[in-house]
Amino acid sequence: MATTENGPGALEPRPAPPKEQRFSLNAIQELEEIASHYPERKAACLPALWIAQREYGGYLTPAAIQEVADRLGMSYAEVEGVATFYTMYNLRPRGRHHLEVCTCLTCAVMGAYDVVHELERALGIEVGGTTRDGEFTLSEVECLDYCGAATVVQVGDRYFTHVTADNVLNLIEELRQSEEYTPVKLADAIVKLHLPGSSQTGGGSRTGEQIRNNELY
Amino acid sequence: MGIRNLLFEHRDVENIQDIAVYEKHGGYRGLKKAVKMERSAVIEEIKTSGLRGRGGAGFPTGIKWSGIPQNDDKPHYIICNADEGEPGTYKDRELMLKLPHLLVEGMIIAGYALRGTAGYIYIRGEYVEPAWQVRKAIDQAYRAGYLGKNILGVKGFNFDLYIHMGAGSYECGEESALMSSLMGERGQPRLKFPHAPYPTVEGVWKSPTLINNVETFCAAAKILDMGGAEYARLGTERSKGTKIFSVSGHVARPANYEVEMGTPLMELIEAAGGVVGGALKAVIPGGSSVQIVRAEDCPRVNLDYESCQQNGTLLGSGGFMVFNDRTDIVLLMKRTAEFYMHESCGKCTPCREGTRWIYKILDRITSGGGQPGDVELLLDICSQIDGRSYCGLGDAAAWPIVGAIKAFREEFDYWIAHKRSPVGPGHVPPTPEVVNPLLTLVPA
Amino acid sequence: MSQFRLTQTPPSLNPPSDRMVRVKINGIEVEVPNGENIIESAKRVGVDIPYFCYHPRLSRGEAANCRMCLVDVYMPRKNPDGTETLAKMPKPQTACTLPAAQGMVIETESEQVVRDRKGILEFLLINHPLDCPICDRGGECPLQNNTIFYGPPTSRYIEEKRHFPKAYPLSEYVVFDRERCIHCARCTRFADDISGDAQLAFLKRGADMEVGTFAQTAYRSKFSGNVIELCPVGALLSRTYRFKARPWDLHTQKSICSRCSNGCNVKFDYRLEQLLRVNARVNEEVNEEWTCDRGKFGHDYVSAPDRLKTPLLKRDGEFVPISWTEALDRIVEQLRQAGSNVGGIGGQRCTNEDNFVFQKLFREVLGSNHIDSRLGRYQGPVNRPLFERFGYHGMGNRIADLENMKTLFVFGSELVDEQPIIFLRVRKAWRFKGASVVNAVTRVEEETTKVADFAEVNLIYRPGTEMALLLALAHVILHEKLLPKNASTSALAQRVGDWTPARAAAETGVAAEDIVRAAHLLVNGPMAILVGRAITEHPEFEALVEVLGDLVVATGNQGNLNIPGTECNTQGAMDMGVLPDVGPGYRPIDPPGMNTHRMLEAAASGQLPVLWIVGAKLVENYHDADLARRALENCPFVIVNELRLTETARMADLVLPAASVAEKDGTYTSCERRVQRIHKAFDISPDIKPDWLIFTEVAAMLGGTPYFSPRDILRDIAATVPMYAGISFRSLGDAGIRWEYPAGDA
Ligand SMILES: Cc1cc2nc3c(=O)[nH]c(=O)nc-3n(C[C@H](O)[C@H](O)[C@H](O)COP(=O)(O)O)c2cc1C
Ligand code: SF4
Ligand code: FES
Repeated sequence: MATTENGPGALEPRPAPPKEQRFSLNAIQELEEIASHYPERKAACLPALWIAQREYGGYLTPAAIQEVADRLGMSYAEVEGVATFYTMYNLRPRGRHHLEVCTCLTCAVMGAYDVVHELERALGIEVGGTTRDGEFTLSEVECLDYCGAATVVQVGDRYFTHVTADNVLNLIEELRQSEEYTPVKLADAIVKLHLPGSSQTGGGSRTGEQIRNNELY
Repeated sequence: MGIRNLLFEHRDVENIQDIAVYEKHGGYRGLKKAVKMERSAVIEEIKTSGLRGRGGAGFPTGIKWSGIPQNDDKPHYIICNADEGEPGTYKDRELMLKLPHLLVEGMIIAGYALRGTAGYIYIRGEYVEPAWQVRKAIDQAYRAGYLGKNILGVKGFNFDLYIHMGAGSYECGEESALMSSLMGERGQPRLKFPHAPYPTVEGVWKSPTLINNVETFCAAAKILDMGGAEYARLGTERSKGTKIFSVSGHVARPANYEVEMGTPLMELIEAAGGVVGGALKAVIPGGSSVQIVRAEDCPRVNLDYESCQQNGTLLGSGGFMVFNDRTDIVLLMKRTAEFYMHESCGKCTPCREGTRWIYKILDRITSGGGQPGDVELLLDICSQIDGRSYCGLGDAAAWPIVGAIKAFREEFDYWIAHKRSPVGPGHVPPTPEVVNPLLTLVPA
Repeated sequence: MSQFRLTQTPPSLNPPSDRMVRVKINGIEVEVPNGENIIESAKRVGVDIPYFCYHPRLSRGEAANCRMCLVDVYMPRKNPDGTETLAKMPKPQTACTLPAAQGMVIETESEQVVRDRKGILEFLLINHPLDCPICDRGGECPLQNNTIFYGPPTSRYIEEKRHFPKAYPLSEYVVFDRERCIHCARCTRFADDISGDAQLAFLKRGADMEVGTFAQTAYRSKFSGNVIELCPVGALLSRTYRFKARPWDLHTQKSICSRCSNGCNVKFDYRLEQLLRVNARVNEEVNEEWTCDRGKFGHDYVSAPDRLKTPLLKRDGEFVPISWTEALDRIVEQLRQAGSNVGGIGGQRCTNEDNFVFQKLFREVLGSNHIDSRLGRYQGPVNRPLFERFGYHGMGNRIADLENMKTLFVFGSELVDEQPIIFLRVRKAWRFKGASVVNAVTRVEEETTKVADFAEVNLIYRPGTEMALLLALAHVILHEKLLPKNASTSALAQRVGDWTPARAAAETGVAAEDIVRAAHLLVNGPMAILVGRAITEHPEFEALVEVLGDLVVATGNQGNLNIPGTECNTQGAMDMGVLPDVGPGYRPIDPPGMNTHRMLEAAASGQLPVLWIVGAKLVENYHDADLARRALENCPFVIVNELRLTETARMADLVLPAASVAEKDGTYTSCERRVQRIHKAFDISPDIKPDWLIFTEVAAMLGGTPYFSPRDILRDIAATVPMYAGISFRSLGDAGIRWEYPAGDA
């Protein structure tokens, strides 16, 4: 018989997970600013999950989903449905660097699987796994749409291009030394992208309103 | 015909992402012209240009714009589809990265012409770098008074532009799924005409909504600048203007190339430096969703909507993939099938079940378990998906398989008969089935 | 407050249109409302279009995903010369969402359509476990049915199927077999559209997509049982019915739910004298096709092993079984001794027939007016608060009318618990018809389903401050002059005094601006008020009802004040005159007898020699439990008609085993005064008797005229009770009859 988390023997549903409130004041302000962009609060669900992914350390726990749902007035199941639909929301912890190798058509033709196999060999993990030291998680992803620069590897908020089986180890070394390109940084970058003025002032809940009224400049 | 840098005119100008540089090179001229015109005249200009949507379907943009009601008091939303996800396509990426102001200008023009309340640029979550350029462009445009209240001194022309980042789903490029995603739901498509009103009448939040591709908006900005009639002089009878092709695969210089519509396909390969690593075997001209073209058919194909269609393929989104003769078409199709299986939203039966079935059969064939009759079965499954699914993804999953079987039937038969690749060890090695353990929530 | 749904774009059910259009379906021309679903249009001409995901009561938002209903469609197209030609739409279309339009031509049996259906069924079955022999749904499964009629004879699928653990528990009542799910989204749409808890949702995507609850927690809906019936395959199953029977072995009897006053129409499915499951029957006026979990799973008492099966007499503190002959002899002997000094309490859960004979025994045979069915706090003159002013008891509105209100004011009610089906109507009014809801409660519970989730204003007040809140609402309405000039506001004006929102805010704890907002909604008519237990159990019940009455009068909503009862026949027991001050049909009785409370007091002080309690859990539920206990202790002879040995029954001297709803014929009258028929399904034991039979046998032994059947009794009721004139088993039919007060009676 197939086993999953609720394998045979698990005869009752799980108890409700404990609630948490991890959104910082700043995060709440960001959420409110973003929510003001739409006529309905619910529309801020995707950005709110990005904020949660950042605030909860790079992945979404059940508590993170509850917090988003409570802040947006949605049901928990609905938010979980959203979070599990999109592949960029992490539902379990990722390594400090999440290597997402594009193996879609052109990249595959240009040798992406060689890159994957080389990574598996070098890191000692399989696709979907995380190294023991928590440094790297390796995933295959669908087209990252920079096919002209195959093979493309996304790490955090950055695309690394023209990766080959030969040069991928250099990339690994580089990343080991780097504090950049972490899942949290990715989430943070995406949150910032939603915030008016963030390219100049760092954004914030008041600036959005002022910018729209042409008051700030 | 041939390379014609229209949108890309200033692509290589240093710091063209900066508003001052952009303005020096004629930026926001189109917008300034537009706001002096009647709103209907702006739409008329787009109609005159003959511009067709660059997102894939090629729907006439002018007709779409005139579908937005003129005299209602609902809010109007202008949405840019920057969820570029079609394998082989990266033109929107470069447009946003290099020419973000062109996009912003195009959207403001649409906002003016269609009495837009707010605009949303839906950018795929992976595109952080391009999105950052758009962010900067928007912030600069606010500062320069191109966005906000009473834009360019036009009383009552208020328009806000927001960025909305996706989170990893190809399906969200489909316009009704994009609307779901924008409204905070799972990226599943919504009912379409005739089952529901057109988005231009009832789109997001039950309000009139315009959705166009990045390239379409960029072209609109250019059209306002140069004049619709001038734009219409480029291209063919029914495919006007220029189109950006993202060339990738076995060519010497893979990159985005903007060509005049109607340019012979072979000319584009030439422009990209020709085929490398072997002789030309096949081309997929419009992204993974369209049918593959054999090398011997390529000289007959011109890069415009009609010629592509006559030759059994589609112009699509312009993801131009070139394959040399070392490419195993069956493995390529297996990988294509895997893409659609992974990206199917799961809403409707044919697509959810069919894409997985196709993948499983191709996986079996390429693992040496092919059986006589598998090809017919594949064709049959494809015909059961094509046109029966909720949105275009189902069609898009079926077309390439059918196209590949039509063009390279002998390779499928070879695999089934000999249990190995007809081109020697393929460049796409077989992979185990992907069970993504990362897709479930950690239980509490 | 956990799961608040603050905003949403309400989906539209297909709105009915006045304009008719002509469409042609398989060559048959038919006129249908513009925009009607083609599935429905096809039904009109007897053409069957198979479907799974379509459901007329669920919004179309997520629908059209099973693709089973694909049909060929031709649209008329105007030629430049003015003539019309038919153009085939390039793709087949889903009939379930296709709106009928003038001149449309539909083909449902073309070669292509037949092939498409085979294709869809093949897809649905490739991952289906095909375990029909051990599936509860087998025999009544739409997937089986459609496969027989439209499916391919064989499967071409030789790959590995999807695997999940079987019978995954979703809740106390529902198990889920994910392998069988066909992803039709009926259950998820139900959770969103109807019950409103949105606890079921699709998780993941593509071929991995599955239905689930949040983080595998329990599915805590008050209406979870409905998804079992909605699921078109055997994916969602009842935990209580699973593996108990095959559907073709079940017998079915129509009935009415006995668990609250809403009167849901249900079917009892039983086998070998065991009630195995309760399913909904469609009644558009009442429950549409829904049930609540209390109704669906709460009839386990009927076949409970501890049902009483023989009369029990207490001897030396111990119950001993006795024969009916002996029991009846005892009763007659005691009643003879007591004369007219006997009391009767109960009847809210008995049929009208039981109640009629009950009061007749007391009034006509024993000569006692000490009879009351009321157990609540208010036991004053029954006609006073509502009837004397407005001419009705209980609910002024039909349940079905509630969905047409612009504003609904829910006052002092945990509506979903007290009146589950009314709750669903209120939610429907909000979700599908745009009504606004004002909710006044003492506290909002951490519940999944509640009015507070969708109410536009929630007034959460301190217990006991109902009057202040009400007067402040009236104050705003009067002082902001929200009503038209000719509104009759004088009665209200006299009362409000200086209950300004600010003052009421201090008193009630509700923010003043919320009171103002609520008041502005209340004048947006038509408005109906639903009153709950916090009001009916309020010490100032009468005064509150008077002010509420003034409010409906002032706002021009006469007849829209609703005080629904609580038990399945609360209304009927009153109609039948199980009341101290009125007889059948509310005919005044002079002098009135003692009410429940006075009877209990009399019994407690040893002044009532015989007390007969009929299906009333006094010790358990009476607000003065101590008094109830003392009364039962000190009354020399207590008779209790019961199904099981309840605590009250335990204190009796004689316990009589009574028939349950499944074991007798008769009628119930629901809170909206709908008289509905229950049918006897089976006998559990020959020694169990329906209450009316017990009463009539005693009456006969004391010289009264006996009744021979419930039909016989109803005939007498129809002749005696003016409101029931003309009602008979036959005239009630399946939908029941809502009795109206004769015009001019007010
Ligand atoms: C499965 C699917 C994916 C799509 N992905 C994209 C996309 O990534 N970007 C895009 O612009 N259009 C995409 N489209 C096309 C859009 O639905 C829509 O036609 C387009 O955004 C309209 O803009 P246009 O008229 O400017 O082309 C996709 C369509 C389908 C069916
Ligand atoms: S569980 Fe049943 S109702 Fe729910 S989606 Fe699956 S098949 Fe449909
Ligand atoms: S019934 Fe029409 S698609 Fe399911």
